[in-house]
Parts: sequence; C-alpha cells; structure tokens
Amino acid sequence: MPPMGHLHMEHVLQAVSVLEAVILRSFGPEGGQVLFTRDTGQAMLSRSGTRILTALHLEHPLARMVVECVWKHSSSTGDGSKTFILLLASLLRLIHAAASKESNVSHSYNSTKAAEAATARHLADKLLAFGLKELDELIATGVVPYGGCISWEDFTVEGQTPSLTNNLCVQKLLRSFFHTRCGYTHCDFSSHLTCELLSHWKFKNQLPSFSLQLVSDYFPALHTPVSGFPVRSSRLIKGQVIHRDFATPPLKTDDQPVKAVVLTGLLQPTLLNTGDVLELGYGGRMKEERSILLFSSWMESSLQGVIAKLQSLGVCVLLSAVKQSAAVLALATQAEMCLVECVSEDELSLFSQLSGTTPIWDCSMIESEHVATLAFCRPIQLGAHRYVHVAFQDSEERITIKPCSLIICAPGEGQIEQYACALQDAIRMLLRMWEPMHAAATTTSKRTLQSHKSASLHTDNLTEQTTYRSTAIQPIQKCVLKSGCVISAGGLFELLLHHALLQHGHSCSVSPDLNIDASVSQLLANALLSVPQKIYSHSPRHFLESQRRVISFLSKFPNYSHPLTLVYKRESTISPIQAEGPLGDGKLSLHCCREGDKFSKVSELDLGLESVSCKYQLLLAVLQCVASLLKVDTVLPTHTALHTQSRRFARTSWEGTEDEGED
Amino acid sequence: MPYVGIVYLNNVKSASVMSRVSKKSPSVCTDMPLDNTDICSKLQLLKQILTSCFGPTGRLKQVHNNIGGHVVTTSASSVLLSSVSSSQSFINLIKTSILNHVSRFSDCGLFAAILCLSLIEQIKKSALRESVAIRVNNYLLALCTSYLQREDCGCRVKLDFCSTQNLITLARSVISSKPACVLTEPETLHISKLAVQAFLLTVPCSSPGLLVEMPDGLSEEDNLLNPLSVVLFSASLAGDISELGDGVIEAHSDVDTDSQILGQLLELGRQVINDEVKLFVCQKVIHPVLQQYLRSHGVIVVERLGIALMEPLTQLTGAQPVATLHTTIPPKTYGKVRDLCIKHFGSKTMLHLLPLGESAICTMILCHRNQTMLNELKVVCQTAEHVLRLTLREPFALVGGGCTETHLAAYVRHKSKSEVPETASVLMCSQTEYLLGVELFCCALESAAGALEHDGGSSLIDLTHAHRWMLPADAIKETMEDSLGFCGCGLVQSSPSKKWTYLNTKYSDFCPSPVFRDTRVQPHVLDSFTAKLSALQVAIETANLALDVKYIIQDMN
Repeated sequence: MPPMGHLHMEHVLQAVSVLEAVILRSFGPEGGQVLFTRDTGQAMLSRSGTRILTALHLEHPLARMVVECVWKHSSSTGDGSKTFILLLASLLRLIHAAASKESNVSHSYNSTKAAEAATARHLADKLLAFGLKELDELIATGVVPYGGCISWEDFTVEGQTPSLTNNLCVQKLLRSFFHTRCGYTHCDFSSHLTCELLSHWKFKNQLPSFSLQLVSDYFPALHTPVSGFPVRSSRLIKGQVIHRDFATPPLKTDDQPVKAVVLTGLLQPTLLNTGDVLELGYGGRMKEERSILLFSSWMESSLQGVIAKLQSLGVCVLLSAVKQSAAVLALATQAEMCLVECVSEDELSLFSQLSGTTPIWDCSMIESEHVATLAFCRPIQLGAHRYVHVAFQDSEERITIKPCSLIICAPGEGQIEQYACALQDAIRMLLRMWEPMHAAATTTSKRTLQSHKSASLHTDNLTEQTTYRSTAIQPIQKCVLKSGCVISAGGLFELLLHHALLQHGHSCSVSPDLNIDASVSQLLANALLSVPQKIYSHSPRHFLESQRRVISFLSKFPNYSHPLTLVYKRESTISPIQAEGPLGDGKLSLHCCREGDKFSKVSELDLGLESVSCKYQLLLAVLQCVASLLKVDTVLPTHTALHTQSRRFARTSWEGTEDEGED
Repeated sequence: MPYVGIVYLNNVKSASVMSRVSKKSPSVCTDMPLDNTDICSKLQLLKQILTSCFGPTGRLKQVHNNIGGHVVTTSASSVLLSSVSSSQSFINLIKTSILNHVSRFSDCGLFAAILCLSLIEQIKKSALRESVAIRVNNYLLALCTSYLQREDCGCRVKLDFCSTQNLITLARSVISSKPACVLTEPETLHISKLAVQAFLLTVPCSSPGLLVEMPDGLSEEDNLLNPLSVVLFSASLAGDISELGDGVIEAHSDVDTDSQILGQLLELGRQVINDEVKLFVCQKVIHPVLQQYLRSHGVIVVERLGIALMEPLTQLTGAQPVATLHTTIPPKTYGKVRDLCIKHFGSKTMLHLLPLGESAICTMILCHRNQTMLNELKVVCQTAEHVLRLTLREPFALVGGGCTETHLAAYVRHKSKSEVPETASVLMCSQTEYLLGVELFCCALESAAGALEHDGGSSLIDLTHAHRWMLPADAIKETMEDSLGFCGCGLVQSSPSKKWTYLNTKYSDFCPSPVFRDTRVQPHVLDSFTAKLSALQVAIETANLALDVKYIIQDMN
C-alpha cells in the first residue's frame, strides 16, 4: 500500500480478510484456542474475538478501526465479536462484487474506481438505513416465532425442584456461550457454576438488571483465581473473600456474631501533616515538654484511646484500606482484635454494601452504624495465598440474597483469566438479553409483533419496568423485540433471517411503492449465509442439509410458530444435521423450556441457544461499521514533527472514523 | 553412582511468521502450532528429558546456563521445569501448568508432564480430529476420576494412622524416587522415618521446639531458672524517631534527640528487667547500648529475628508482639519458654527454644555430604512432608510402581467397550473415532507406566489385576516367572497361574480385579492419592488445552 493514497475497496477487503483468517481459527465447533504472549512474557489464552484482535497490535488504520468497532460492540453485549468479523468480511465482499458489476461501464481506470467507491458507499448507506428501519420487524416475524423466551423468573435458587428444568434453558444459553469462548471441555461445568452464582445473587423484588449489574460491577472482588488445580475444583463459597491476609493473628474463637469496622484512614493519629513543621528545642530554652518524646507518647496514648473505644463497641475485626503502623498492629493484637490491611477499594465497597454499613475515616468518630455484624471471619487458604473469609448474617429486611464468591481454579493463570473474562462477558450478555433495547420514552409505539402463539413459552413483563443503562452503541429509535428471546444456536438465526429477507425482497419488488431496494435485502440475506457456512466448514454437506431442512420446514408451515432446533446427530456414519421439524406427522418436537425429561436427554445433542437481541445488535453494529469503513477514502500518514500542520487535512478525510467514535 | 546425562538448554529462534497487517512491532503468529515442526521437535525433546528422569532408576540432569553459573544436578520436575525456558509460548503453556500443579501438591509433576506429553504425541500421530480427541479425553478422565473415588477401586489403599508402616512407605516412595539425593537403602529408610516423625509431631503432640540463630556473647555455662519469661518486640528498638506524619521535624543543635530516645529505650529495659524477663527478642534492630544494658543484667538478647519467625515464636511462647515504647508493657504480653539450650550442628550453633506446653512446632535437621545432594534432599523432604500432610485430607494412597496407570488403562479399556454407540453419539463422533480415542488415552497411560524403566528391561502387565511388572533385559524367557517376583507396587506375587503380556501390545479387554488384601502383604511403593488424582486431571486438561490451541500470537515488543 502506498504511504499516502486513496483507499480502494480492495484495500478494505484485504485488511478485513486478514482479520477473518485469524478469527476463523477459533470460530465454530472445530475452532480452537488462540495462545498469545504479552510483551511482559505473560501467556494468555483466548477464544474471544476481541482479545485476539487487540492482541495483534495492528497498525493498519482500517484494521484498527474495525477492531475498535468490534471492541465497542462486544463491550456492550459481551458476545459476537467473531461473527462480527465474518459478517463484515462477507458483506464487504458482496458489496464489492455488486459495485464492480455496476460500474463496469466507465472508461478510465481512475473513474472506474471512483464510481465503484461511490456505488459501494451508497449501497452501504442503504443497507444501514434498511437495517435500522426494517430489521427488527423482520426478526420479530421471521425468527422469533421459531425460538423461545427465557425470563429472569425461571432463574431460581436451588432447592426448589420444579424450577430446575427452567434453569436448564439459561444453562443451555450459557453453555453455548462458554463453548464459543472457552472450548468444549468445561462448558457444561462453567454454565452450571454461573447459573448457581447468579441464582444466589438474585434479589427478590428487584429487576434482573440490578442483580446482574451488581455481579458484573463487583466481579473482580467476587472471584478468586487459584492456579495449579483442575478446573473442576472451581466452586462457590459463602460470603466474601477479602484478598489480603490478616496482619495480626486471626480470631481464636469462633464465637458468633463477629463485629467488624471498615477503616479508610490511619488509626494512629497523624501529628504532622505534609507542610507542617515541628520545631524541637527553641533557642536553647529547651524544656522537657518540647522533647520529641512528648509527641510520640501523646500519639501512643491517643491510639490506645481509639483502640479502647473500638473495644467498648465489641469490634474485633478491622478492615483497613491503608497500611497501619506497627504500634497499631501490636495494640490490636493485645486487644484481641484482628486487622486486615491494604484491602482494595472495590472489596471494601462490596463489603459495605453487603453488610449495610459505611466506612469510617477517623475512628474517634465511630458510631454503631459503622459496625457490621458478621457470621464469621476466618482465614482461608486458597492455593499459595491465605485470605480472609467473611460471611454476612442473614437479615431479612435488608437483603434477600445469599452473597457468595466464586473460586476459579485452572492449571495455569492464562486459563483462569480466560474463564474469568468469559464469565464476565456471559453476565454482560444476559444483561443485554433481559434489557429492553431502547429507552422507556417510546413505550407507546411499541408493537408487540411477537407471535401470540408462543405464549405457551414464558412471557415476561419486565420490559416496561427495567431501567435502561445507556451503554448501547446503536441509536435505535424504536424496537419491537421483546427481551429474553432466544433461538437455537448453530446458524439457525442466520438461516431463518436469510429466508425472511429473501421473502421481504420479493414482496418489495412486487409492490414498488415501498421505497426500499430489493437488492439490499437480497445482499444482506446472502451475507448472512456465510455464518452457517463457516460453522459447518468441516463438512459442507451439513450446511446444505441444514439449509434445506429449514427451507422445507418454512415452506410447509409458513405461519407455524414453534421452537425449531437444528439437531446435530451423528450415528455410526456421517449423517446430516436435522432440523427437528414436523417430520411426517407435522408435529414438532419441542426442545425448549419445561420439557423436563425429554429435554435433558436431548440437550447433549443439540447446539444450545443464542440470544436474539444480541444477534440483532450485532447485525446493526456490523452494518454501521461497513458504512463508516466505506466512507473513508484516503489515509494521510502524518509525522509527529508535522503534526500541527497536517491535523487540518486529517480532519476532513477521517470524518468517518470520528463519527464512529461518537457512537 | 547413577548415570548422569547432561542437557544443554538454550533457546532456539522461532517460528514461522504468518501474514500480518501492520508494519511496525508486529506480533509473530504461528498457525496450527501442532503442525509446526519446531514446536513438535521441542515437545519431543521435553518429553524425552522428563521421561528419562522418571522414577528411582531415572537419569539425572545437570542444568547449567551458558554464562557459567551454578550447576544443579537433579531429577525433580520442580527444579528441572523451572530452569527450562523456551522461546515457544506453547511449551511454556504446558510447563507452567505442570509447575503450578507441583507448587500446590509437590508430588507427581513428572507423571503429569509425561502423561500430558505422550497424550498429545499419540493424538498427533493418529488421524483423530482434535475436537473429537478433546471430547473423548474429557469423558475418559471423568471415568477415571470417578473410579478412583470409588470404595471398590482396585488400585487404592486406605491409610491406617494407627500404624506408621504405610506412611513410611509413602514417604520412602517419594524419597527413593529422586536418585540425586544419593542415599543408600538404610539412609532412605532413616530419612523416611524422620519425615513421618516430623509429620506426626506437627499433628499436635509434645516435645518439639524451635531453633533460632545463636546470639553473640552467650556462654553455655549460664544457669537460668525455668521457665523463662520472654518479651517479643515487633517495632524497631534502634532509637529512630517514630512515625509522626509527613511533616518536617526541625531540631536545634542543642537538642540531643538521640539521647532522649535512648533514655526512653533504657527505661523500657529497666521495666523488662524488673519484670524478670530472661529472653528479649526483637524482630528488627536493637540499639547496642540497650543490648549491652540488658546483657549486663543477665538477659539473653536476640535481634533481627525477621518476620518469618515471628508467628512461630508467638505460637511457641505465647507472647504478643509489643510495639509501644512509652507505656508500661502489659504483663499479658509476656510469653514463656520451658527451657533453652545451645545446639551445635557442624559449623552452626543454634539456640534451641523449648515450649512450655504442647506446641505443634518442630525443626528438622538435614545433613548430607555436599550442597548439591543436600539441595535435592531438601526438595524431596518437603515433598514427603507435603504428601504426608495431604493424607490428612484424604486418607488414601495409590499403589505405585506404575501399577495404578496400567490398572486404570485396563479399567478404561474394559469400561469403554460397553455402550459404544450411545457414548459416541453423546460425544458427537463416530464409533471408530471413539474407540480410537480410547486406545490413544490408554496407550498414553501405559507409556507413563513404561517410562519408569530405564535399563533396557521390558514392562509387562498381568491379565488378572492389570498391575505392572518389570522384566530385566537379561532375563531368560523360560524362567520368566522367577525373574518377575513381585509387581511394581509389591502387592501381587508372581505365580504359575498368572498370564502376562507386554505393555503396549494388544490384549483382549478384561475387568481388572482388585487384589485380595492379605494383611501380611504390604505394598512396597505407594503414591499420594490427592497429588496423583490432581496430576491426572491436570495432565489431561493441559493436553486438551494444548490440542485446542490453533493459533499463536507472540507480542515481540
């Protein structure tokens, strides 16, 4: 590529194709891990598209722009970064083909290229407009009826047996998520663990987003990495683990309850603040009172006063954000209090939230509202480290959850980090799924297009109540998709939407008054097919077979709304994917929710579930990325020395990128 | 003397550079690492090195770097693996997994590494798809772990804490597996007994003690009244100014702050002497004048104890650390020792503190002819101690000498033959693929057992209990039964009714029967149950992970 030159479609396509080649290694059921070493020498493992792309340290401005878009999308939904790249590459290819076909008539080379770029840009804009306007409706009518719906209520604390089967649905969703992010080996185990974690953190009378957001926000404080153990040693433990050791001997008695205080400041009073000057012995008229000993003994006695005050309140655990002096340690030990120093802000804030107390800066001002009551506080040995393990007393009026922490075990640190990231993203994905997709402002315009026939599945009315946290990247004006919609994984979403788009294109060409070009939906439909194609890349026959099944199912039962599953069956020889549709008698075998016995038997075979809303947002994000990619026409390399002069020029040509930055 | 092999470890420049988009500081990418010849040869080399170290007859390795540093002779995985560094992050991935296991369980590192590497090699050689192999391995691992946890498991021994015999066997198996200690048979037994004794002492019992560095100026003739009162300081007593804050202290020239503070320190000394303290210990430095003052009053002074010994000392004496200088020392912070005496160990003189009551602290003294052997002995004794401690959690041991591996392989072969179509469909693969996966898994287990042999002999497996037997290279076919004697773990004796086959040959599967336990026959070799179970899991999980890696990105900045 020339150092300064016009960008052509080929360049864009080339850059994206390279990214696609890397991503494909970890995509689909045959995909694997990517191992990368940081500049520090630390090894990391990942199947997450975002992490792989950022690890490449790309310098190509276009590639960096793509990575930026992917990063933004996945930090919002936690999912879909690999599909993003595949769809992007496929869309660009199709746009390129369409544009070069149309602009063949031009004469000179340059004008051909210019015409091509203009056509491509125009197409991309039309695609985006189409996506923003029509896509949600198409998904609601063409895809959602064939899926299911999971509600937060399904998700219950263990022990209530009837709900177990409902939990399976969430587990299936998480299972396929972990499969794409960490590999097959522990996807069952991880999804089970995540479900258990979330069900313990389920606040009664609270919206799902509240619990999920809390777990997501405090995730660093809620999990403990332990290396050198098999992954299956990962578990939940009651209460909270504070990732520090006791600075004094731990409590000897196991008496309950234990009273604790969170300190943010120093216990030992500070005599001299920065800038203060203490003068000793003034002008030879030195008296005993001006000696240094006076000050240090005053300090000691006031410290003793503070300790005595704490003792009178029955406090025996001090959690401190800062390091305390040796005198504090010794006096606390003598007073049979145990002290934990340098506790991170995050952990202290979680502790305060769970215990319902406020931290205190100056201990001489301590009141009873600063004193937390714990069920226990004891040392816990996890791997090479000894930490402090605290559990909270159940208090009905304050919270109705069972706080618990997660211990993530794996043979190596790289794996632990991978699991921790995947877990965090899984929570983000669920958060996204249960969140209504736009602000509460336009509730009136909401049309529940989702087929009423799927009412046998769970319906939920959380949409109206849930508060929206503005992290979305799409400027969605309206949305008709309900929250909690899921569809069988393994490319079914793409196949169904492909079909719906084709039909839509057909109806457009019949009635020309609709101002949408039929070719646009045709193009998007074809681009979508690349995803299932890549999923079944190891066996193209499976792809054709599953496509045929979906089409025949849809043509036989055009208005039938029922969950559809692509079941991956492999008997002794290679046999195709089967859409478990109305084979013969027109009766569907239902694999979603509430089908206790049958479900558990089949769950081993099928490919899991995916969130429809995440898919929808992914599509919009890709369309936006395409549009902004094609808006760029020139790359202006600038040098630091010329920085101020060239900025003016750069601004004009990088318009597209700046738009993206504001999204 | 065992044979010593020398391995030079150096970094070979890597790797195939694949397509990249950027120009500056690109990451080096390796596509399909298991198809990369450089990585494969390195994996093979690593396996070769580790296999040759395995077991009591394993060959030693001398590790020395290219700048003429310290030479280490060892066959311990913890030492060996931590000194191997590769430019290939793929190798390091496997290495750190094993090292992490060793840091948690101390034992079975070589077993885990060999099993992991042979499994990768076996699968790589076969045409089995990686994704299928991972699923099959995962399934078989679950089969193995649930079998090992079962009551009727044929290769597990319940440990009886009433008799020390099994514990000593367990410790001896660990100690004898490291020939770099250069111990004779009686010496091995002696160390094993010591390790068990130390272990039993720390499970609260009487007559332990703690050794601290001998303070200067203490004569052995001092007569002391018992028990002795102890004070323990955690703050510095060097006469420095205490922390008053961040501000500035300005002292005029006529003010002698130092002597004021020293005066306060001596005041403290006076109180200690009045309270009849006989042992004065400080974590940090003590002002020489205070030291002199205390000594002149017959107090034994120990300074610079260090943070590591503070906790054992508080436990042993019952003293609470003091850090205040201005208030009178509260009487309850004083601790007590029953007695103290001076001990000589070679050139070292130590002060031996004896606790007043029961205390779970004791010191083990290890002696050896030279530093190299001593270092290896230290590693081995720590392992033995850890392995013994693990028995408190799970009071079991696994039969050693390769018998557990062959037994497990036979069990897996037999068990996996039932319900083949069902299992294959659950694992989303064909029956042929499943059976191939089972075979590869069992072969890897058996090759881990076979790795114990280094003198050209062959490994056999009997067709009743599926234990491992060793046939020396010079044995004559006709007298096979006599030359076999006992199996690897010593539980089964050879008899004419038994049938054997060579390891790694095909045999028709059978259900390995547990050995009928005659109480007079005790196993000669036992492995830690907890450590081995975890090693098995870590080995398979790491192999699965390695098989799953499809692409490597190395940041070269």
